[in-house]
Amino acid sequence: MVSEKDNGYRKNFSLILTFIVLISVIFILSLFLAFNFTKKKIESDFVSAKANVLEESIRPYNDFFLNKLPEISYYNGFLDSATATKLADTILLKYPFVKRVVFYDTEVRNFRFEDNGLNVGDFSVGMKNAYLFDPKPAKHAIRLFGKNALTNTGVLENFNELALKLYTFIQKLDTTKIPTQEQLFANFTNIKPNRIDYLNIPAFEDLKVYKKMVRQKLESEPIYQQDMFSFELDPLKISIKNNRPALYQSVKIVPVTYDPLDADSEYVTGEINLGGPFSDYKLFFMSSKAFIKKEIFSYFLPIALIIILFYGVLMLVAFLIFRNLNINRKMYKLQYDFLTNLTHEFKTPVSVIKIAGNNIKSAASISEKDQKLYGKILDDEAEKLNGLMNKLLAFTQIENKVIKLKEEEIHIVDFIESTIDVHTLKNPDFELTYTVNGLKTFISDPVLLASLFDNLIENAYKYSPVNRKKLHITASLIKEHVVLRFKDQGIGIPSAEIKNIFKKFYRLQNQYNQNGSVGLGLAFCKELVNFMEGEIFVKSELDKGTEFKIVLPYKA
Amino acid sequence: MRRGIVLIWIAIVLSACNWGDKNVVIPVNDFFKSQDRSIYRLSPNGKFLSYLKLQDNMQNLVVEDIETGEITQLTHLKEKKITFYNWVSDDELIYYKEKNDKRFLSNLFIVNKNGKQEKELFSNENTRMRIIDDQLIDDKFILISSNKRDSTVFDVYRLNVRDGKIEMAAQNPGNFTNWLSDSKGRLKMAISTDGVDESLWYRDNEAEPFKKIVTNNFKTKIWPIAFSESKPNVVYAISNVNRDKNALIELDCSTGKETSVLFANDSLNVVDAQYSKHRKMVDFVVYETWKKSNFYLNKSSEELYKKIGSLLPKNEFRIIHRDKNEQNFVVRSFTDRNPGSYFLYNSNTNNLKKLSDINSAIDSEYMCETKPISFLTRDSLMISGYLTLPKNSKNKKVPVVVLPHNGPGLRDVWEYNADVQFLANRGYAVLQINYRGSKGYGKEFYAAGFKQWGHKIKNDIEDGVKWIIQKQIADSKRIAIYGTGFGGYIALNAAIENPDMFKCVGANKGVLNLFSYLKSIPPFYQSSLQMYYEVIGNPVEDADNMRQVSPVFHADKLKIPVFITSNSKDPRVNSNDVIQFIKELKKNNVPVTYLDRDDGISSPNREAERQRAYTALEKFLESNLGKR
Repeated sequence: MVSEKDNGYRKNFSLILTFIVLISVIFILSLFLAFNFTKKKIESDFVSAKANVLEESIRPYNDFFLNKLPEISYYNGFLDSATATKLADTILLKYPFVKRVVFYDTEVRNFRFEDNGLNVGDFSVGMKNAYLFDPKPAKHAIRLFGKNALTNTGVLENFNELALKLYTFIQKLDTTKIPTQEQLFANFTNIKPNRIDYLNIPAFEDLKVYKKMVRQKLESEPIYQQDMFSFELDPLKISIKNNRPALYQSVKIVPVTYDPLDADSEYVTGEINLGGPFSDYKLFFMSSKAFIKKEIFSYFLPIALIIILFYGVLMLVAFLIFRNLNINRKMYKLQYDFLTNLTHEFKTPVSVIKIAGNNIKSAASISEKDQKLYGKILDDEAEKLNGLMNKLLAFTQIENKVIKLKEEEIHIVDFIESTIDVHTLKNPDFELTYTVNGLKTFISDPVLLASLFDNLIENAYKYSPVNRKKLHITASLIKEHVVLRFKDQGIGIPSAEIKNIFKKFYRLQNQYNQNGSVGLGLAFCKELVNFMEGEIFVKSELDKGTEFKIVLPYKA
Repeated sequence: MRRGIVLIWIAIVLSACNWGDKNVVIPVNDFFKSQDRSIYRLSPNGKFLSYLKLQDNMQNLVVEDIETGEITQLTHLKEKKITFYNWVSDDELIYYKEKNDKRFLSNLFIVNKNGKQEKELFSNENTRMRIIDDQLIDDKFILISSNKRDSTVFDVYRLNVRDGKIEMAAQNPGNFTNWLSDSKGRLKMAISTDGVDESLWYRDNEAEPFKKIVTNNFKTKIWPIAFSESKPNVVYAISNVNRDKNALIELDCSTGKETSVLFANDSLNVVDAQYSKHRKMVDFVVYETWKKSNFYLNKSSEELYKKIGSLLPKNEFRIIHRDKNEQNFVVRSFTDRNPGSYFLYNSNTNNLKKLSDINSAIDSEYMCETKPISFLTRDSLMISGYLTLPKNSKNKKVPVVVLPHNGPGLRDVWEYNADVQFLANRGYAVLQINYRGSKGYGKEFYAAGFKQWGHKIKNDIEDGVKWIIQKQIADSKRIAIYGTGFGGYIALNAAIENPDMFKCVGANKGVLNLFSYLKSIPPFYQSSLQMYYEVIGNPVEDADNMRQVSPVFHADKLKIPVFITSNSKDPRVNSNDVIQFIKELKKNNVPVTYLDRDDGISSPNREAERQRAYTALEKFLESNLGKR
């Protein structure tokens, strides 16, 4: 064996190890970081997602506030009790947080309201009628208040508040500039805890007349119709949209002052104010720590899986690279061995030729006998070299598929007999026998076939002990295939090596092939068979013998 | 490079070949250009012609000597504010100007036709003045109405044009809206309205008080034209009392009863009548089917119109003004493809001389023909309208813009319509529909539209669209609906109800909310509220129905692209509606093109605003109807 260092091929085991260690460190580190990141994210989510829950929960209110309230203005003060009832009904039905609705059929005029209204100078805002819509006392039924029942309900104050707001707005109104929608909306709504009052917004032209009415009593005694609504709200009826049920174990609406004692270390809590008319209430979020942990893991698990998968793929790639390197190393070794053997193979005839040449050169005179002897030696050795080179060349050609298959009719018995004749002539101690079943001729390339026979016969001779140099060749036609068997009684092949024997430059390590073998024979045979579109099989028993079976397609 | 030039040449040659039938895109403002000369008047002797000349936004009174062509500019004003002017003798004119700035100001002047001797007759900061009868009484008085006594009420005064003194001719009890004097300038008749009912008042002489002679619901009309000079106490009037269509009748003023019928027809609706002071008789009545036509009541007027007509072939025309002897006339011509021109006609020489074009930027070659159409609705009512096809639309289906007219109580007529021609020029067929409730088709048809804004009127529009699809004219996938005011209201309602029928919808200053519409009726019309309640709906009793048919409540149902304009500076409009409406549309991801359009009559940049609005409309239609 040649040492690793000597052939210049590095295995770099330490490099691979470093790589594995490094990516393992990164793997563990990334798992750790991922976990920490998830934990931080969930913890900050607990704080930030509150706004999201609030937004979702308060959406119906915003819809009510921004879309439904302005709709009252669409009626331009024309609302009467019947239409107002329908409007109030739809609102009560659609927005569960609206508890009660009071509708004031309102007038703006220049003469006093004695009981139900606000009088500032000659400017009077008062109600003709007031109606209460309360689904509670009687289902669907609506209780209507007369003028006089108002005082003991306290709703008159609500009315006056907004009426005063209207008066203040009118007084400050700049009649040369049209107020913006935002200004108007702000001045015609009154947002109080758990209550919203809304007065329909009149056209600018009307506001200008109001302004005149504030300043002086108009002769025409105009009466302007306005509609005012007062909505009593119940924050507890807001339906909570917990869009993070895995994050918040419980969300509830509680008064601002709520601060439970049992919210100790076992729980994580948070709160956010509802705002607007609900500012006395807040959303209270609570989750147990175990609950949060579960959420953290539910987030962390997929991340961990991805990291593990990534790590796995990386390891697989590392393994594959390592394996490829290993194979390449073996291949390199084979070629190296081949080169050594080949050199050796060439060396023998070359040295013989050299000795013969020297002898001829140094001899004073050469006898006829010597001349013949040296001539034969030179001829033989040159023939050996030629054979070696031809073999090498043929192999390369076949391997690279540069030659073409010749197709000739082969008479199998004649073919085998002539081959046997040649080999017995060469090795008289070789006992060759044959049988032919069910076939006389077939079509094949005679040169390639001869080459195949020669190689297998030579191999059988080479790997047989002296007393058992026997080979039996069988040729038969089985199912449209020509089957050739070469059965010897040689040393056999260890089963572990069987898969290697057809590889290039592979040689069994034993006493029989110390010299004169390059390890090309069987690889060459396999290439030949492949080229002839056939298959080669081997069956062997150690110390008993080997049988090669060649299956070729039958063409006649 | 060389090849490029050759290609360009080929393109130029090809386009030149196509010139003949190719549609030429005309700039927006060309369609709407206003005339630079208007209000032509002849001097009583017919020797001078006067008109208001507009140049660089300055309006001035000009007098032209017809014989010599000599032109004298009488005024040197820097603004456009002359409201009316009038010849008061063969040599003198009065003119009245009004300015509505931070402070209201009105002045009345008298001036000689040579531009000299200008004298201010009247100047006031609070009152307005309108002319009632331009004939001169006793060579010095004309009848005017003014709100001098009470800013909300217009009384009638006699204005002495020599010294500017005015004396009251009749006091308005408050609800008189129109006045009529006889041939001698005696104020003898008045029309009053309480918003719902209209009454005719009469007095035999100016010393007596007015007596009510007949009262009718607003659906029924009696419209006095002129007093008969041959029969005492008789007034010619257009009336549909006990008729569906208007007729020209004689009315006995002492009884208020119809005494004879001059022209009546079961299928023809009289819209106007021409009384000749010179001949002292009614010359003709004007009835309107798909276009206005005259029915002559005497030979001489028929001959006159025939003579002018032969000089203006293929043109409609009207006589705008005439001199005292009815020999010289100012004539205005027009067609559907031409806004028309002013002419001076002399009946003695039978000579027609062109004065000026209404809009010289319009070449009628490139305008499209407007054809009358009619179809039956689902409830078998015959509905008329007009269809204007774009150029090059033969045998192919075209995109359509349905253009419902404004209302209530208006109609589309056959004439040059800038909106229609603009849209047709941009390649759209324009469908105008005189839906039920339109005026001019009789009482019954008018009343059929009452409270049907969101219902049958909308159905009429839909039936019209179905008709135009069925006729293989419209590309049913490319139909838009666009309207102004109530037209915009109809458009939005149709789009809300039929999102599949229309590709997009436009509402120019559209009515979005019937409640707001009723609320926006100004105080001096408060008396007409009851009428509006009948035509549109009672905001208290019909609240449910009005809610149902007001687009502002149904923004969530509008799914197609919307073009919408409003004037946020208009104090009568409650801009809350339009802003809320657009907000909700945007929330529902409906594409909205919104334009705040400040182009009131007094707006200084009216033309620029109009250009902006129409360019935006053009772009909106192009992006929605441009491709299939």
